[in-house]
Amino acid sequence: MEFHFDWSVFFESIPMLMRGVKFTIVITLGGLSLGFFLGALIGLMKLARHAFPRTVAITYIEAIRGTPMLVQAMFLYYGVPMALGIRIPPLTAGIIIIAVNSGAYIAEIVRGAVQSIDPGQTEAGRSIGLTRSQTMLYIVWPQAFKRMIPPLGNQFIISLKDTSLLMVIGVGELLRTGQEIVAVNFKAFEVYLAVAVVYLAMTLSIAKGLRMVENHLDMKTTR
Amino acid sequence: MEMIKIINLHKSYGDLEVIKGIDLDIKSGEVVCIIGPSGSGKSTVLRCVNRLETPTSGRIIVDGKDIMDPDTDINHVRTEAGMVFQQFNLFPHMTVLDNVTLGPVKVRKMPRSDADKLGLALLEKVGLADKARNYPEQLSGGQKQRVAIARALSLKPKVILFDEPTSALDPELVGEVLEVMRQLASEGMTMVVVTHEMGFARDVADRVIFIDDGVVQEDSNPGDFFSNPKNPRLRDFLGKVA
Ligand SMILES: Nc1ncnc2c1ncn2[C@@H]1O[C@H](COP(=O)(O)OP(=O)(O)O)[C@@H](O)[C@H]1O
Ligand SMILES: [Mg+2]
Repeated sequence: MEFHFDWSVFFESIPMLMRGVKFTIVITLGGLSLGFFLGALIGLMKLARHAFPRTVAITYIEAIRGTPMLVQAMFLYYGVPMALGIRIPPLTAGIIIIAVNSGAYIAEIVRGAVQSIDPGQTEAGRSIGLTRSQTMLYIVWPQAFKRMIPPLGNQFIISLKDTSLLMVIGVGELLRTGQEIVAVNFKAFEVYLAVAVVYLAMTLSIAKGLRMVENHLDMKTTR
Repeated sequence: MEMIKIINLHKSYGDLEVIKGIDLDIKSGEVVCIIGPSGSGKSTVLRCVNRLETPTSGRIIVDGKDIMDPDTDINHVRTEAGMVFQQFNLFPHMTVLDNVTLGPVKVRKMPRSDADKLGLALLEKVGLADKARNYPEQLSGGQKQRVAIARALSLKPKVILFDEPTSALDPELVGEVLEVMRQLASEGMTMVVVTHEMGFARDVADRVIFIDDGVVQEDSNPGDFFSNPKNPRLRDFLGKVA
């Protein structure tokens, strides 16, 4: 049997994929927002003076970075609810999984950025009587945050692509929506190509947005 | 009246003993210059005074407060003992004015408008009122250091610690910073200045101290210090830098 690429299937599947795109975006944004708070907390814990918060942070980061996200997703969606005797809706679970996973990588981004700030900045802050937390809040964090933007943008793209793994827990995101279309029309080539194109459109938009933000910051100040 | 009293100060980094027993009294209104070879421990002594470094042993009393006493609020002590750094350490993400008002607003909880008034007055004092809305990177080194001095003054400290304030500057910019420091000295500010500017030490200091190898080798008035140094290491040092 000869293969014919069917453009009409390709184009018709794109609007149908938009339902999935919506979930992909909601999960990515929700997961990353939570992941940023988690990552900031864990990243700062890794820089703490006391050993206990440092150990907690290191354990968390290593556990997440050293295991496949697919396993994390299965564990959090099927395993943890069983232990706790609760049920989590797939969308919520998806957001939590992205948050927990990206949090570990964002923690390293935060730690690296904070550590990259000249210790003289902290000394100057402390020398005018600011407390440790005031020095972090008003002096170190704003400077570190600027340096976090490029790697955070990178993590944005990674997490967006990672949401495709959530199809295994039944979240109706982009890839799962594509799979459902294929189940009906059997046009795997056209539909999955359309899925790939839609992912690419999103990741390229993020990359472009990121460059604009970076240029804007560069114009404001060279630091 | 003692502003700073250092008693038998020792400081080690790991196995390396950097400060090997220093005693020093600095009276209110005094200008004390500290000179000595690089790596002799001058910065370490200064940084122990506002506890940017923690002494290994000994006592330091700043304005009557023992800085090692757990009941002492070190943040309060730091508002009494301002510091000016060799590398300026201005906050690059804030305007010049915000650099100067951050302490008053966040530490003293001063209302914004009062803090701005104070900040502008201090910038006026160091000759930089017209730069209030600029960012530090738009300033020359000498201007940056003058802003740093205004920032140190913003909490109305009783003493200012200067750690080689002109060492990072191009030679032609040294004068404008020393001029501001001279003015502060003439207004009666208590100052401890680590410096290689012998002219400044000779003209402005009430006392000059030579630190070498982690101990005070000479502590005398500028006249004797420069014209009639007793310590052989100091004689050697002055011979090299003169
Ligand atoms: N944080 C530190 N860790 C280890 N050694 C240090 C540290 N700070 C200073 N030192 C060492 O202590 C000695 C004195 O340093 P410092 O007080 O900066 O000298 P100075 O200001 O007179 O040039 C030097 O040998 C320096 O290498
Ligand atoms: Mg030094």
